[in-house]
Amino acid sequence: MDASELQPITDFIQGLVPFDTLSNSTLDRCCKSLSVGYYSKASAFVPLDETDPQLYIVRSGAFEVRNDDGELLDRLGEGDYFGFPSLLSGEKVSNRVRILEDGLVYHLDPDTFDYLRVESRQFDRFFNRAFAKRLRHQARFKAKELTTTSRVSSLMSNNPLIIDINASVSDAAKKMREARVSSVLVIDNHKLCGILTDRDLRNRVLAEGQDGSLPVHQAMTTQPKVLSSNALVFEAMLLMSEHGIHHLPIVDDERAVGVLTSTDILRGQSSQPLLLIGEIERQNSLDSLISVSKQIPLLLQNLISADARAEEIGRVLTSVTDALTRRLIILNQKLLGEAPMAFCWLAFGSQGRQDQAACSDQDNGLLLAHEPDEAASGYFEALTKAVCSGLDKCGYIFCPGDIMAQNPKWRLSLSQWQSRFASWVNTPEPKALMHASIFFDMRSVFGPTSLFDSLQDKVLAETKDNDIFLAGMTNNSLVESPPLGFFKKFVLERDGSEVKGIDLKHKGNALINDIARVYALSAGIKEVNTAKRIRVLMEKDIINRKDALNLADAHEFIAHMRLSNQGYQHTHAMPISNYLQPKHLSSLVRHQLRDAFKVVHDAQSGIKLKFTRSF
Amino acid sequence: MSRYLLKSKLCWRAFRAEDQALKTYYHGQQSLLELDVERAPLLAIDLEMTGLDAQFDQILSIGIVPIEKGRLILSKAEHKLVKIEGSVGQSATIHGILDHHLNSAVSPEEAMTWFLERCQGQMLVAHHSPLDLAFLQKGLSTHFRQRVTLMAIDTLAIEKRRLMRQHEVLKEGALRLGASRARYGLPVYAAHNALIDAIACGELLLAQISAIGQGESVKLTELLA
Repeated sequence: MDASELQPITDFIQGLVPFDTLSNSTLDRCCKSLSVGYYSKASAFVPLDETDPQLYIVRSGAFEVRNDDGELLDRLGEGDYFGFPSLLSGEKVSNRVRILEDGLVYHLDPDTFDYLRVESRQFDRFFNRAFAKRLRHQARFKAKELTTTSRVSSLMSNNPLIIDINASVSDAAKKMREARVSSVLVIDNHKLCGILTDRDLRNRVLAEGQDGSLPVHQAMTTQPKVLSSNALVFEAMLLMSEHGIHHLPIVDDERAVGVLTSTDILRGQSSQPLLLIGEIERQNSLDSLISVSKQIPLLLQNLISADARAEEIGRVLTSVTDALTRRLIILNQKLLGEAPMAFCWLAFGSQGRQDQAACSDQDNGLLLAHEPDEAASGYFEALTKAVCSGLDKCGYIFCPGDIMAQNPKWRLSLSQWQSRFASWVNTPEPKALMHASIFFDMRSVFGPTSLFDSLQDKVLAETKDNDIFLAGMTNNSLVESPPLGFFKKFVLERDGSEVKGIDLKHKGNALINDIARVYALSAGIKEVNTAKRIRVLMEKDIINRKDALNLADAHEFIAHMRLSNQGYQHTHAMPISNYLQPKHLSSLVRHQLRDAFKVVHDAQSGIKLKFTRSF
Repeated sequence: MSRYLLKSKLCWRAFRAEDQALKTYYHGQQSLLELDVERAPLLAIDLEMTGLDAQFDQILSIGIVPIEKGRLILSKAEHKLVKIEGSVGQSATIHGILDHHLNSAVSPEEAMTWFLERCQGQMLVAHHSPLDLAFLQKGLSTHFRQRVTLMAIDTLAIEKRRLMRQHEVLKEGALRLGASRARYGLPVYAAHNALIDAIACGELLLAQISAIGQGESVKLTELLA
């Protein structure tokens, strides 16, 4: 028999990661060796014969894998695998595979499986990685130079102004005035045929003594240079300087989709972080700070489209927030006068961890050197109110939980903060802890380091090796669990219920933040940034190297998915959210994301074992 | 059909058979009748022919795939092209086999010897088996110079019975292989040749068995009606 005669089966197998990496002859051999079985819901479980391990490839139907505690580990649909752990380890597995919907399953025997692992490194690596739940994909997330790699689509204005070729120049000028733009695209029969700019109106109409009834096509620049929306900004800059032009129509599939102007490019460059921070530091009024802060969303989009590492994006955005906060404090101090005592502006939560993303809210507080008298109280009340409302106007909305320096509850002296933390640590009630977990990711944005250190040192001394507190924090962080992944087109929670998408923040990164925090507090580590916490934990041998790398990778991968998803939402004018719809993901990304969630789940089991065992 | 009736028929056929291979075949079929269908060795088959009339038309190709312990074994699947007299003519539009493909074909005699050897000890499975069996019986009868009668599980007949029992109105084409498979959520196999159709038929039988049995075992004789 010739394997090409098994075409429908070969086609299916070839479409699966990692079988897509096999050579044609290897793939043929693989398909010829398959056997085909059918599992019916009526028989409840797939009979897994320990003496006959197989790689099971789901062709149709639905299955779920549960461990011996009955916990749901995975939901499987078309193109998913099971049975490989025992193939790789040779050990018997206690997992059970329940049949949810009748299904056809291809079986790959151990000899062929081993042959494929020898033939293809990618094949071997895929199953080893799936087995070890390891993730490594750093190369993909290397940051690139911004201006040279960002795309035209990230800077151009969408919905370009359009006018018909038979219109008059005065109509065109009116349209441009209404839209407050300096150019209009001229369309003939749905096709772009020219562009009319301010300069054309000046040179070809006014300077020539023409009146407003002149048809557009006699004044426009015909057959203008165009680019497609996925061209690089760099190419646009080249084209503009070569031809001495300032406007580029952006055309996809012969359809005008936007205009890119030299001002857009300039604005894009000025939204680079260092320039932006420099600009913030030069502003002398709230109004000008507000207008500068309008560039922050653009900065985020640029960073996303440049494929920067998620960790770096978080740090860059947070340093902009920090700069803005500092500038607001300084500006308000100019109005209110010198502070009556030393103080620190504290950042909590995502700003504390330096992983801010789009639409962050405020989480801040004030640390005073000592108890304030009435006058000092009034001073700090005025200062914090001004800074918090300034931040709000710059796009950092008020904290819904009211964790803000303007709230007198979070404007405390050193000893008050110390006893506040001590009470959280010593009577760890679940609700208070959930609230308090925000406070443990704490950083000083403004003020003397020594003052902040005396708070942090005291807090860490309380938490370090404090079993009861750590058990409480751990239980708290186990309330949420990562989603199981993608089952057909749906996303399922670990208890099997269906949700509208994957909440990458609350079911992914927030859980990793929790895990890193518990470990860091248990060891008295000062770092608050999650990636740095994990690194220190690895260096101190508190988490073993492999687990630490996996956790850091999973954190980066999920954060990257979240950011690129938000980038997608932004470019498609959808509301920005943390929800990812799995249906557009490639099979590889689907597998990687699933692996990342498995890492999170395993790390949760890890802290559960380590910190809650004695309770 | 009753197991005893079937058994006595097979006994008689074995007694009448002049060729040893034929005798072995009939004896083998007898012992299969005792088994649960999940345990019985099966052989799913499909033929491509030049037409639908076994008297005048000829076999072009035969695809077979064994089913052991409820699994189709693709490594033992085989596909044979068979030499014909004359040209494939118009039928090429249906099966896609052209005259020049038949260069690697075996003679009808070789095909029949090969086929009988492959079905020893196995129960045949086909979709709309009477048609395939008519061609095979004619081929074997010519080869052995005596009347040969084959037995097979017919997935179309099973499907028809199941639908009738559910009081379904049978729509035109509802019993075709693809339509029947769709009812069990089995994948669509686009390319058609005798081998893929044999596999498709085998998979359909597995799905049917699980639907009939509801987790209980099904006697092979229950399917031979």
